[in-house]
Amino acid sequence: MIEAKGVSLRYPDGTLALKGIDLEIGTGELVYITGPSGSGKTSLLKLLMGVEYPTSGSLKVMGQPIAKGQEGNIRRLRKRIGPVFQEFRLIQGRTALENVMMGMRFLGLPYRQAKENAQSALARLGLEHKALSMVENLSWGEAQRIAIARAVARKPRLIMADEPTGNLDHDNALIILDLLTSFRDTNITVIITTHATHLIGRQEHATFIRMDGGSISVERRGKAYEKSLV
Amino acid sequence: MKKALYNAPYFMKEAGRVLWQNRLSGIFSFLSTGLILFILAVIVTCWSVGNLLIKTMQDEAEISAYLDQDIGEEQVSGLVETIKGIEGVQDVKLVDREEAYGRMKEILGEEAGVLGLFEENPFEAFIEVRISLGELGKIAERVEGLKGISHVRDNREVLERVQSITIGLKRFGYLIIAAVGISTLVIVSHMIRQGIYNNRVQIGTLRLLGAPESFIGFPFVLAGLLLTLAGGLLASFVIVFLINRAYSAMSGSLPFIPLPAKSQLVTGLVLFVSSVSILLGVLGSLFGMRSTK
Repeated sequence: MIEAKGVSLRYPDGTLALKGIDLEIGTGELVYITGPSGSGKTSLLKLLMGVEYPTSGSLKVMGQPIAKGQEGNIRRLRKRIGPVFQEFRLIQGRTALENVMMGMRFLGLPYRQAKENAQSALARLGLEHKALSMVENLSWGEAQRIAIARAVARKPRLIMADEPTGNLDHDNALIILDLLTSFRDTNITVIITTHATHLIGRQEHATFIRMDGGSISVERRGKAYEKSLV
Repeated sequence: MKKALYNAPYFMKEAGRVLWQNRLSGIFSFLSTGLILFILAVIVTCWSVGNLLIKTMQDEAEISAYLDQDIGEEQVSGLVETIKGIEGVQDVKLVDREEAYGRMKEILGEEAGVLGLFEENPFEAFIEVRISLGELGKIAERVEGLKGISHVRDNREVLERVQSITIGLKRFGYLIIAAVGISTLVIVSHMIRQGIYNNRVQIGTLRLLGAPESFIGFPFVLAGLLLTLAGGLLASFVIVFLINRAYSAMSGSLPFIPLPAKSQLVTGLVLFVSSVSILLGVLGSLFGMRSTK
């Protein structure tokens, strides 16, 4: 699913965000990327989403090289990814259903199927009754669940969530993490960055990537590793 | 195509949203685009009338040969036959005094009462010679030299004057077209840039979701197109209203000015202004989108 060999990322201002990272993530793996602020979590996720390109080394996501000159292919790759953001990035002035459908409008799905996907994603996240609510009227917990519904309704093979609990209280954060981890059961690879290690400590079957100063250390617990190398 | 149709209501809704977000500048853009396109429509109308006038005058190129006072009827018939034989002459007709009087009466229309002030018919008989325009100078010279002809009058001067006005109008028109193009592009592209800036978060999210640039940009192109098309329709409405007024005013008092068929002129103008407005709207939007990259 993801293969990184000696990947480094240096920003134009000279900051070295990632140093020679080697990493392999398999299908259906649940991955937590943790570390303090400025440790490179978001930079790694930006690389995986093709927002930034490695300054050295090679990186492939679902077989697609992430490199300069591959912009068109990376754009197509993103259609197979379900992104979730800390600040939700819902589109204001639209209903929850419209927001979820927005992520599918350019995938070539027939309208009816896109609507069914959106409704079933909302139902799975317990928000079918909010389908016609304007997103600005939702609580933050609900807004983040809508953002997850938007990501999963596209039926992605990979979900990437950047600090999805960053703006939420403890109870809502647990709900969101439980929801995200549940997608692993459908063989979707889930990558979550978080600095809230107290919320994820109970996970028995997962991969933990700890970041510190641009370097990583990987710990695989339980069946995470065996399951991942399918 | 199928995807575009499926997303058509979404694109329309988004374009409406872009326009609604900038409604105040949208209204000013609509009015200024309308005014600019109206000026263009006026120029095109003047071109159209000027060209028809020249064509009509060219088709009706003729000289009037006036006769000596003491000339006899037999001599006049001889002159008519001689002129017919000159190369480049298409038709020759003797217009007697009564016919000359009748023609003037018809031209003056409601003002013909002024002819009643004369005790006698003031018009002289003359020979009307229809010719090919290119031969005008040569024929006029030959006819003037014939015995029994006192002088010759042609419409060369008028024709040249109309022609020079039309050429001037054409040059001015090109300037106007350039000004119309540039100003509309600036107005529309500014409006679209503003729209893109206001929706930058949404655009960023769509890019992260993998939306193609065409999907992201189409509502903005549509917004620019709708804006200029509305301006074009406003311009068309005003120019059609003015053409209707001008036709009813001119048909009574200036019957000798040839006017193009009204329905043809109006249809042509509306189609032209609408096409130009669509083209400028699309180009302006693309320009605005490009400048934000």
